[in-house]
Amino acid sequence: MRVSVSSIGATVRAAAVPVFAILAALAVSGILILLAGVNPLDAYAAMVQGSVGSPSALAVTGVRMTPILLTGLAVAISFRAGLFNIGGEGQLYLGAAAASAIALIPMDVPSAVHIVLALGAGFVGGAAWVLVPAYLRAFRGVSEVVTTLMLNFVGIIVVSYLVDPSFGPMGERGASYAQSVPIQQSARLPVLAERTSLHAGLLLGIGLALLLYVLIRFTPFGFRLRMLGANPVAARFAGVKSTREMMMVMLLSGGIAGLAGAVEVMGLRHRLFDHFSPGYGYDGIAVALLAAASPIGVIAAAGFFGALRAGSSLMQQVTRLEVSIVLIIQALAILFVIAGFFRSRILRIGKRTPVQASGGTHD
Amino acid sequence: MAQKPESSRGLLHMVGITKRYGDLVADDRVSFMVREGEIHALLGENGAGKSTLMKVLYGMVQPDEGEIWIDGTPVQIASPHDAVRNGIGMVHQRFMLVPNLTAVENVVLGMRQPRAPLLDLSDARDRLMELAADYHLEVEPDVPVWQLSVGMQQRLEILKALYRGARLLVLDEPTAVLAPSEVTHLFRVMRLLVAEGRGIIFISHKLSEVKEVSDRITVLRAGRVTGSIETPEATAAGLSEMMVGRQVSISRVSPPSVGSTAVLEIERVTCLGDRGTAALRELSLTVRSGEIVGVAGVDGNGQRELVELIAGLRPTADGQILIDGQQPRDVLQQTSMLGFIPEDRHREGLVEDMTVAENIVLKIHGRAPFTDRGLLRWGAINAHAEEQIGVYGIRCSGPSARASALSGGNQQKVVIARETQDGPRLLVAAQPTRGLDVGAVEAVLALLRQQRDRGAAILLISTELPELLAVSDRIVVLHGGEIIGEAPPSEDHLDLIGQMMMGHRPVTAVA
Repeated sequence: MRVSVSSIGATVRAAAVPVFAILAALAVSGILILLAGVNPLDAYAAMVQGSVGSPSALAVTGVRMTPILLTGLAVAISFRAGLFNIGGEGQLYLGAAAASAIALIPMDVPSAVHIVLALGAGFVGGAAWVLVPAYLRAFRGVSEVVTTLMLNFVGIIVVSYLVDPSFGPMGERGASYAQSVPIQQSARLPVLAERTSLHAGLLLGIGLALLLYVLIRFTPFGFRLRMLGANPVAARFAGVKSTREMMMVMLLSGGIAGLAGAVEVMGLRHRLFDHFSPGYGYDGIAVALLAAASPIGVIAAAGFFGALRAGSSLMQQVTRLEVSIVLIIQALAILFVIAGFFRSRILRIGKRTPVQASGGTHD
Repeated sequence: MAQKPESSRGLLHMVGITKRYGDLVADDRVSFMVREGEIHALLGENGAGKSTLMKVLYGMVQPDEGEIWIDGTPVQIASPHDAVRNGIGMVHQRFMLVPNLTAVENVVLGMRQPRAPLLDLSDARDRLMELAADYHLEVEPDVPVWQLSVGMQQRLEILKALYRGARLLVLDEPTAVLAPSEVTHLFRVMRLLVAEGRGIIFISHKLSEVKEVSDRITVLRAGRVTGSIETPEATAAGLSEMMVGRQVSISRVSPPSVGSTAVLEIERVTCLGDRGTAALRELSLTVRSGEIVGVAGVDGNGQRELVELIAGLRPTADGQILIDGQQPRDVLQQTSMLGFIPEDRHREGLVEDMTVAENIVLKIHGRAPFTDRGLLRWGAINAHAEEQIGVYGIRCSGPSARASALSGGNQQKVVIARETQDGPRLLVAAQPTRGLDVGAVEAVLALLRQQRDRGAAILLISTELPELLAVSDRIVVLHGGEIIGEAPPSEDHLDLIGQMMMGHRPVTAVA
């Protein structure tokens, strides 16, 4: 009989892989930086300085992490149910469009109401964009990976159309760039710190992460979602209506990705721009992977990615290194994480062998 | 310890093999010899160290100590590739075949091609067919393997090993997937193979088969050899004691009881299998409160479909099923109506990545006191799990132990606890003892009896006749999707039941 580790130990172990992966990524990237003729310690010092070294640097980190925190949560929640919503990018665009539609309307209501309405629209927009893939997955068994991914491209084009300066229904006529007119003041998210662009979207993301943690851990819905993710066959045998659960998880996931778009428009850009996302939806996948799909972990992982981006400009100024080194660090971190989880899985299987030997699991 | 073994006819000597996993010694100085021309049975419970020993032999696991000698020379077997080179062939319990490839393609897979990089299968096909004819191992060479019957896939596995020049064949529980007539055929083939000087290691835990086919028997218990004897000298009781270390009997404890009110009523039910053909044909069966009805039959004769029908997971094409007067679909969620122990506990019975507590409340997590005002109450869940762990004697470190960390027997107890904690009127148990060691089988059967004595109606589906005889109050035989006969659970009717399992309808009614 094996004694299972305490849950604290399990948590520490769960965090160990990502932390180790990040360190390994920094080490390997350090070699690349060295090859480029720069002392990696200088580069990393500049990066730390530029991301967390001052209040304004911290604010930049916060701004950068906000959208990927939300898209990361969107992906994480689907991962937990064994689903792979990788259409966060498209859902983000549609969420941004829907939120903008509300935010552009002048309303004679308190700002809080306007904000809530616009955010709600963003959620609905994202959820609507995943509706068809969710239906196809739940009722027809069509792989959601393919459908959600393909709708990303469509989503981007839909927004391009909406904000087209000559014929787009939301486009600013005659503008030199495809964009909407500025959204109403009342629909803008409050700024958290003077003279920075850090907005309330970050708090929304952190609050949502805590909420999702509670949802997964402390509600019957979360329980069924974990069952579905861990063993869909056993879930069916235990009477879980997997179609309904899958629909709900996918819509929730799409809605959260939609919120990411809404928050980006309402908190930072204040217009709906063509191609405004540099791939936040895809970054969300990386964030969720790094966080092992834990909502709380997503906060940390998004913070790390946000800091990398925020710190990269100062690093470039100080060392003349290309900003793209950040992408290399990110990619390496993900690779190490995947390798790490893979290894821990192998270790676990290896550890199971004695159980088979002693007690007789049999397959 | 590591001196040259003396017998010259020895094909394989494993000398002092020790393999540790952490604190656990899977094999403890195991020595073992196979002679040329010998079928050597390796007998032991699950976890006795048979599998580990064979993994060592096939190069999948490296021993901590010990040596392997083949034909009187020590060899290093670092990988399955080395094993094959040394003339060792293994037929795993789960076949290692690529379903989409044909038999010929599977055979040449991974072998050096004579005309590389081109693939020329015609020679390979000829040689394969020759081998097949020589050893009566008929296969269809050009059809994708997934279309072949299980028996044929097994023959293909043996051919694959022979094609690679195996002189020592390891057959890991080969009879588990076969019908009785196929077993007879397999035994004939095994005789033919050893007649030419090959050796066969036959792994099994069925005493009768071991006695029937082997020349010598080595018994393992808890990682040690408890004895090696010539088969004619072995007795079932002796072997059983060598295996388990104590007298175990899976036998009746009380005379068959007669049920009272009908709980499960199946009337002329027909349903389709996964391939769209009829898996059950006009099947009728009644199970009453306070009785265990055993369903005997060779795997694949409609057992799975029958179970899924009752559990409301498969639609009926015709006929009707009532559980206490209700449709299966309506009672699936009612844990006080239906308890269901699925056939495959890893895949269907448990969520192995979740804890024991979570698995125990898998179906009832949404009910008070486990959920209160929309939130799960882990205090109540863990307290309840703690209680069930005590009641059902589940050996684990506590409610928060992962289900995957438990032994098979304890995993099954978790499933039984979950399915019977609400005292269901009907309990359906599909192969509940599969893969369990004898001690655990005893425990599971005792739990079934307890449920019967409490007044539950129990449908027990099993391919193991001894356990059906031990706990059933009536036995029905399922063959080709039909119940072709019924017999009382006594040794006297063993022959009759065996006949019916092969599809022979009983000529006269049995009293």
